[in-house]
Amino acid sequence: MLERAGVPAVSICTDAFVVSARAMAGVYGMPDFEFVTIPHPIASLDPGAIDANVRRAIPDVVRILTGTP
Amino acid sequence: MTELPQVDIDEVRRVMEDYAERGWTDGLPVMPVTESVLDEFLALTDLPPEEVLLAMPHLDRACTVRTAAINAAMAGCLPEYFPVVLAAWRALDLEGYVGRAIWQSTTGTAPMLLVNGPVRERIGLNSQGNVFGSGFRANATIGRAIRLTAINAFGLRPHELDQATQGNPAKYTACIAENEEQSAWPAFHVEHGFDAHASTVTAMTMRSVVHIEARHTTVPEQLALDLADTIRRTGALIHETISACVALGPEHAELFAGAGWSKDDLRRFVFEHALNLRATLAAVGKDAVSGQTRWRLSSAHADAVPDSVADQDQVKVLGSEQALQIVVAGAHNSGVSAVIETFGPRGGPPAIAPVEPAAAPASA
Repeated sequence: MLERAGVPAVSICTDAFVVSARAMAGVYGMPDFEFVTIPHPIASLDPGAIDANVRRAIPDVVRILTGTP
Repeated sequence: MTELPQVDIDEVRRVMEDYAERGWTDGLPVMPVTESVLDEFLALTDLPPEEVLLAMPHLDRACTVRTAAINAAMAGCLPEYFPVVLAAWRALDLEGYVGRAIWQSTTGTAPMLLVNGPVRERIGLNSQGNVFGSGFRANATIGRAIRLTAINAFGLRPHELDQATQGNPAKYTACIAENEEQSAWPAFHVEHGFDAHASTVTAMTMRSVVHIEARHTTVPEQLALDLADTIRRTGALIHETISACVALGPEHAELFAGAGWSKDDLRRFVFEHALNLRATLAAVGKDAVSGQTRWRLSSAHADAVPDSVADQDQVKVLGSEQALQIVVAGAHNSGVSAVIETFGPRGGPPAIAPVEPAAAPASA
């Protein structure tokens, strides 16, 4: 939605939700929409583990936002 | 020997297999639908075929009268069930959670339909023995009509847009009728302002049906405490509070009514007693709520904020008396009841829609 409005955006989901995320992207007419995936689960992690996941995801987030291959 | 109609079974089978291959099914065989079959359903409502019954804006998809009819026919409904299916969609729309993607949630809820009024007898809806079980075409196919529409009109297939972690058996079908005839209390729809001669469908979003054995007692307080204990179980708590619908077997309903309890008396008692000690909540790590989501979590969690009754040692699970509904269903043959664990409005009136058959039947 943000991308359609001209705002660069990146969606992050855990690997457990990749199939649903692709299905939703298909519904919105963007079947090739790229997601950043992080390991499942999130809800039961402590702050340290969340931080580690975020650090690992940042390069992918930057790559998708800036469009660098 | 019984004379069966002569048909080319290979042709019928080919059509059914084609439907299955296209994914137009819940896994069980579905009935093929032709325009002429569809016309029989549409003839029983005054609504135009293109009228939207329920929309899911986030998917840009909607269920119309026509798609509801196609899926009702595929589910095995007789045309005369269709006004009940339409009322079910009205009630689901009114309930509100369905249009907001609850059927895609990991929680894995299913729609639970409750039918009241004369239509029950007219179309053979079971309200007595095995009420949550199989064996009755109207119950089985009306509930299934909703599920097939979710799959075919909204595309909510498992492993795709339906993210349910486990789901529950009611995702095949869940439609019960109230046993008004063996209840001493006013029928559910009458309690909520409808005429006794009206027929209605109430929609709930359910997580599970929990069975209660209480064949041992004639003391209303004991039975009500058994109900309250089932409702308050900590495993049901994701949000701060919950909602529930007690489906009393007629014997249990009679026990309460015979002791002079009204539905409101029972509701009040269960509301007061469906509670956990704070230590019980702490033991399972649910003694506080998240400041972000208001979901229950441990007070030791980084996001924890006190719940709304943090000054109290006894924590009620129902936010209000209205978060508990009471119906009577099942056979009058034992001290068995159930708690339908619902998900959705935790207070306020239930989602009830009237059954509205066509004003002038096509055959007239």
